[in-house]
Amino acid sequence: MLTVGIDIGSITTKAAVIADGQIRGTSVIFTGYNAQQAGTKVYEELLQQLGIKKSDVSKVVSTGYGRNSVKFMDKALTEIICHGSGAYYLNPRVRSVIDIGGQDSKAMVLDERGKVKNFTMNDKCAAGTGRFLEVMARALEVDLDGFGPLSLRAGDPSRISSLCTVFAESEVISLISKGEKRENIIAGIHDSIAARIAAMASRLPIAPLVVMTGGVAKNIGVVKALERKLGMAVEVSEYAQVNGAIGAAVLATGLK
Amino acid sequence: MNKMPEIILFFFAKIKKLALRFKKRKKMKEIMTVYYMEAKSASVSGRKVAWITSGGPVEPLIAMDVIPVYPENHGAMIGASKMGTDLCEKSESMGYSSDLCSYARSDIACATVNGGPIGGLPRPDMLVCCNNICGTVLKWYEVQARYFNVPLFIFDTPFCHMGYSEEVQRYVRRQLDEYVLFLEKACGRKMDSNHLKAVGKLSLEGQRLWQAVLATAANKPAPLTAFDAFYHLALIVTLRGTPLVIDYYSQLLEKMKDRVARGIGAIPNEKYRLLWDNIPIWPRTRWLSEKLASHDACLVADTYTSAWCGTMKYIDENNFFDSMAEAYTRIYLNIGVDEMARTVLEMVDMYKVDGIVMHSNRSCKPYSLGQYDIQKIVEKKREIPCLMIEADMVDERSFSESQVSTRIDAFMEIIKQRKGS
Amino acid sequence: MKQLDEFREILKDPASYGRNLKEQRRRIVGYFCSYTPEEIIYAAGAHPFRIFAAGGNIHFADAHFQSYCCSLVRGALEGALAGNLDFLDGAVFPHTCDSIQRLSDIWRMNVKGPFHVDVVLPVKLDTESAKAYMIDVLKKFRHDLASHLRVEITDNKLKNAIKTFNAIRGSLKRLYELKVENPGIIGGSDLYAIVKASMMIDRDYLSKALPAVIEELERKRGNANPYTDKRIILAGGACNHPDIYRIIEESGGVVVWDDFCTGSRYFEETARDNADPIAAIATRYMDKPVCPAKHAGIFTRGENLLKMIKEKNARGVVFFFLKFCDPHAFDYPYMKEFLDREGIPNMILEVEDQLPSEGQLRTRFETFVDML
Repeated sequence: MLTVGIDIGSITTKAAVIADGQIRGTSVIFTGYNAQQAGTKVYEELLQQLGIKKSDVSKVVSTGYGRNSVKFMDKALTEIICHGSGAYYLNPRVRSVIDIGGQDSKAMVLDERGKVKNFTMNDKCAAGTGRFLEVMARALEVDLDGFGPLSLRAGDPSRISSLCTVFAESEVISLISKGEKRENIIAGIHDSIAARIAAMASRLPIAPLVVMTGGVAKNIGVVKALERKLGMAVEVSEYAQVNGAIGAAVLATGLK
Repeated sequence: MNKMPEIILFFFAKIKKLALRFKKRKKMKEIMTVYYMEAKSASVSGRKVAWITSGGPVEPLIAMDVIPVYPENHGAMIGASKMGTDLCEKSESMGYSSDLCSYARSDIACATVNGGPIGGLPRPDMLVCCNNICGTVLKWYEVQARYFNVPLFIFDTPFCHMGYSEEVQRYVRRQLDEYVLFLEKACGRKMDSNHLKAVGKLSLEGQRLWQAVLATAANKPAPLTAFDAFYHLALIVTLRGTPLVIDYYSQLLEKMKDRVARGIGAIPNEKYRLLWDNIPIWPRTRWLSEKLASHDACLVADTYTSAWCGTMKYIDENNFFDSMAEAYTRIYLNIGVDEMARTVLEMVDMYKVDGIVMHSNRSCKPYSLGQYDIQKIVEKKREIPCLMIEADMVDERSFSESQVSTRIDAFMEIIKQRKGS
Repeated sequence: MKQLDEFREILKDPASYGRNLKEQRRRIVGYFCSYTPEEIIYAAGAHPFRIFAAGGNIHFADAHFQSYCCSLVRGALEGALAGNLDFLDGAVFPHTCDSIQRLSDIWRMNVKGPFHVDVVLPVKLDTESAKAYMIDVLKKFRHDLASHLRVEITDNKLKNAIKTFNAIRGSLKRLYELKVENPGIIGGSDLYAIVKASMMIDRDYLSKALPAVIEELERKRGNANPYTDKRIILAGGACNHPDIYRIIEESGGVVVWDDFCTGSRYFEETARDNADPIAAIATRYMDKPVCPAKHAGIFTRGENLLKMIKEKNARGVVFFFLKFCDPHAFDYPYMKEFLDREGIPNMILEVEDQLPSEGQLRTRFETFVDML
């Protein structure tokens, strides 16, 4: 059986193909301003790349904020359910999933069968999301991809206390002008975002095994900071960014 | 060569001032250390510990030899030691919204981890909650009643929008009796009404002395600032009704009178006199004090410390117990915004104030909601400027130093302009 | 259902309805909170009109309230300062929470209206002295209102008012019971419209309209679909967002009961027959399901919620209250703990005057319904 999962996020759109229980391929493109077009594009391109005909596809599940704009989907499910399912598929020992996306962040706990037992979200405020890191990267004039490695070199992480992204930005600027090292500031930024996420997640409460998904999971600095704040190991799969799409494809196999 | 003696004298005066300050601080520190140590070892000494709200009627506790502990005073200590952010974060992970009062959040978290600057407060044997200051304390004490599983007494002092009514008097007076019964049950013995009378007298005397201390700042230059008052406040709040408070404030009053006689001001060059409104920004009092002093501005009075001597006019010296009802109900935060504004105007006049600094404190709705209207009234009736500082009393995450610094600079420029410096 | 249409019309523009009533020479008394003794207002021959937030952007109220004040208080003052409530003959402020307390002062100082009355009810609802005080306060309110409106409020008028309001509350409760038995019988936002309009609409008309609605629904009882079994209870303060019901229904769930100030806490408990009508009203306020701004025991609300879930056969709870609402936010952690201990799925939604985007709401509710 061959299924496809499509995750339309505000910045990137991901697709995953699962055939006979194995991941056949994944793809990531920019969403742009037309979610429907992005969904269609990522689907067609991935199928073509893998040499699959549309008629071979049994079911399609869409997720993400643009899930209802995918006209050819068989079902639309929320990204919470799909991230849970994806993380469980990649590692059935997972019990908690933390997803930091571009514009929101979520945490969820799963039961032994991978079903979501409880969840919490932050979608009101930029602090604690990928946006926070983008704003800081601009203020520091550093490439966001460099954040992770740079922060690992920090000898003395700065303390950034503001709750608000805009205030935190002015704190960072003030640290720069005081001559604080970039590595230390970035480490402080990571601590700040990790603290927000940990506070949100602790309300559930989360328990091991903890897995982090979403684009920000590629940032080793954030992952390490989160581990420190939670007091638990945080695993990141190579499929972290496409985790939602994978979960959607897995759930598609269960559709009649 | 001629300048030498002056310089030496100047240095000596500075050192003496520092030493005096140090001595006073040492004494307060000693007193508070002993106080908290006694509270923490209460079970050993066979005494009971009660947690009580800052506006709560403490005299019956003193009369029953129950040690009163003030989670709000502890909250101020947590803020001053800059431990508020971590504890507030902990409370948020327990499910408490970050918009709730930061005293409550830090205390609720602190109790579960025994955190804070003194390793947590001693376990209460009972909780006494008076809602004259706000409705938050009701909820906070309910949380702690569930957590500690100890008896909770709620002293419900209805809000006095425009005056004090007979119905309120009857209700609050009845609750005073209920309170005594509660204490008698919790302590397993009767209240000694003579002892209570004596405690009442000491309480009133302490309040009079505190008021006299604060009033010395009406002199030019002021011998003490509001920041000093924030520091010396602890005793009248926590140990009101004890002889220790009388001793301490009598000595403090003497020192202040002495300074007034010799024209010694609290800040080196007092040019501008300001009034502070709301609870202090505990983690930043030193920064604020230095910032204002750098503008030759002195906070000569504030609405917060004066609240602990603000209802003496309702106390009948010869009938302390009965008059507690009105005295504890008509406190500064339990009256209408217009009445608060009148009090502010009185203070502006008494202390000859050039401007007002208002702390728009996220944590305290009864104190902060209404500030805009009070600001308008003061600006209209006294034509003096008002500065709003948005922050929080304990949670540093709500304080933005560069923003506040800019505002203070701009405010002082306006004041200087007005005074034609 | 034509009554339903009328209710919905009123909600679209309550101020218009108020002005119409005013033109008919009625005296309109605005109020907040379900602890306001409407019976006394009605017995004075006046029309009790509950005030909600204006909705829309805050402009005037910003000069009086900081941003960390709840949207109910800011929105209500906004409406008043914008002149939307000019038809009121007076405003009644019962003691509720710190924010409403200050709203009363600020309103009194800035909103020009014929009269302003504070009804400072006790915070404690579980002692004899509190009850005695409550009765004193209600007596005083009766006296003050009579003097402001220059009428006499007789015991007979009060008893008649009690009968009227008991009947109205009974009808609203009956509607809830019909829904809990068969959720498909009436849409969530329709039921919301009925209850909310009941706090603003002419009470005599209401006394006839509600039984008519009940009759029509009872006819449908056998025929309505069994609907979904994802039965949800909403718990919180004042709900100003009818859309929430539709979004929950579209996500596969259904709201079968609530613990809302503008819902069940408004109609639960009747005023018992009593020689002293004021005492009867007071007893009802002491006994009815408690609001978090009041005190009637430290576990009462949690226990009430568990009882409600069992009785109404609900599968999950959505805590739904305003951002900056301190009483609700303080109760939430322990109530959540009660539910977690019993394995009852629950989620929380803190809202401001505008709901979050539908996309965000759908994500949350669809996930939650899946958990049930």
